[in-house]
Amino acid sequence: MPRLLDPLAGVLRAIGRVGDSVFRHAGGMTLLTTRTAVDTLRGNVALRDFVDQAFSMGVQSLPLVMVTAILSGIVTSQQGGYQFTGSIPLYILGSVVTSSVVLELGPVLTAVVMIGRVGARITAELGTMQVSEQIDALYSLGRDPIPVLAAPRILAGMLVMPALVAIANGVGVVAGMVSAQATVGLGSQSFLYGARLFWHSYDLMYSLLKALAFGFVIPVISVHMGLLTRGGAEGVGRSTTASVVFMIIAVLVSDALFPPLFLN
Amino acid sequence: MAEIEYRAVYKAFDVPVLTGVDLKVASGETLSIVGPSGTGKSVLLKTTIGLIVPDDGDVLVDGQSVVDATSEQLQAIRRKAGYVFQNAALFDSMNVFENVSLGLLDDEIRALGRAEVLRRVSAALEDVNLEAEAVLSKLPSELSGGMRKRVGLARAIVGQPEILLYDEPVTGLDPINSAAVDRLISAIAERMHVTSIVVTHDIEGAMTISDRIALLEGGKLRFVGTPQEFRNSQEPLVRAFVDREAAFAAAAAKSEAGHEGMA
Repeated sequence: MPRLLDPLAGVLRAIGRVGDSVFRHAGGMTLLTTRTAVDTLRGNVALRDFVDQAFSMGVQSLPLVMVTAILSGIVTSQQGGYQFTGSIPLYILGSVVTSSVVLELGPVLTAVVMIGRVGARITAELGTMQVSEQIDALYSLGRDPIPVLAAPRILAGMLVMPALVAIANGVGVVAGMVSAQATVGLGSQSFLYGARLFWHSYDLMYSLLKALAFGFVIPVISVHMGLLTRGGAEGVGRSTTASVVFMIIAVLVSDALFPPLFLN
Repeated sequence: MAEIEYRAVYKAFDVPVLTGVDLKVASGETLSIVGPSGTGKSVLLKTTIGLIVPDDGDVLVDGQSVVDATSEQLQAIRRKAGYVFQNAALFDSMNVFENVSLGLLDDEIRALGRAEVLRRVSAALEDVNLEAEAVLSKLPSELSGGMRKRVGLARAIVGQPEILLYDEPVTGLDPINSAAVDRLISAIAERMHVTSIVVTHDIEGAMTISDRIALLEGGKLRFVGTPQEFRNSQEPLVRAFVDREAAFAAAAAKSEAGHEGMA
């Protein structure tokens, strides 16, 4: 009889381990967020560090974000054009492209770019500092790594992400409009007419709110995973991979939570 | 000068690493901790300033508990100490001047002004036998291993600490650079009257620089005594260390003689 229960015990143990890990990470990230907020309010974060991070995350990510936005606008426009031709008035394409880009593709694809370009870098950078004892060195020098390393990255992420998404939205819609003209011959006037037809000004706010959430989630997870790194170069590789996986899951889960929370 | 006391320090990472270490380091004393790899030497050193918190027991710095210290008290303890890390732990994106000036507090830097900070950083670099003018603007990646260790030492002493903690300061260095770092440790201890704890595998260096040597093995202290007592001890573990070192020194001397003969 006990042998029959072995697989069940194994499953329960696995659930327990995963649950324990999830709660530990959630606790660690809550603590990191709280300490970042306290240090920010106390004015312990150096403006120079924040500006450096904002430049690195924002300005240096801009080309890749724009390329991604252009391609997402073009693909949406081409696919919509193919499906609508002969069945639905083509000016509706303006609405479909605009809504798709602003509500979904702009924020999510920009977040994916930021996970790869910024989140992975932050985890690898802080992980390397951890395994080479640079974090311990900061503590030994009477300095707290939260205001020096964590807070500038988290604050910069929250500032930069909405700006990047706003740019990605604009670029994506324009690219979709140009593509519609080129592929199905839909003029810009008709495209914009369709776009305005179903446009709600709240859509932009919703898009930027998503961007703010992603801009918070990505640096918090990447900093948290970086500071947890142990075990040399292999450890840095492991925590960077785990960090990217967590960031993608977190972005997609929060993306799925947004419509029921903010669109109804 | 500061006194350090370890009281029944216990620490485990999955398996026990330190299993009840009692040790007192007097003001101004230089104590070397030797022992096999993975025996908890660096862990013990890190407990001194709370970089690792013991699971049980306590560490007292000038009577102040490190375990029960508030964050302000812990900061005060850390300000008393300079820590020299095994691989120097310099910040890659900062040049030598910025790295060494981190040894001063931000408030101190603001109060002193850039010229005085530069003077102090240069003085610390000269103290570790580095030419300040030549290295100030260099990045850590542009320095040799020996120079990086010296910059790490300069960062540790620039704030005029009362305690210096060295984590394997000569590991990875050739014998000439090792001897030079050992001489620096002795000179700094004498000049600054600091309490020094040196974690090392270099027994010969430990004999030269230490007032006392402690042998840590299996998470416990197996021997504490003067270098002379260490050398003459009949404790098998101590003998294994001393004899291995003696055998190495003999082999090195033989090799040296062979080279001279060929020349």
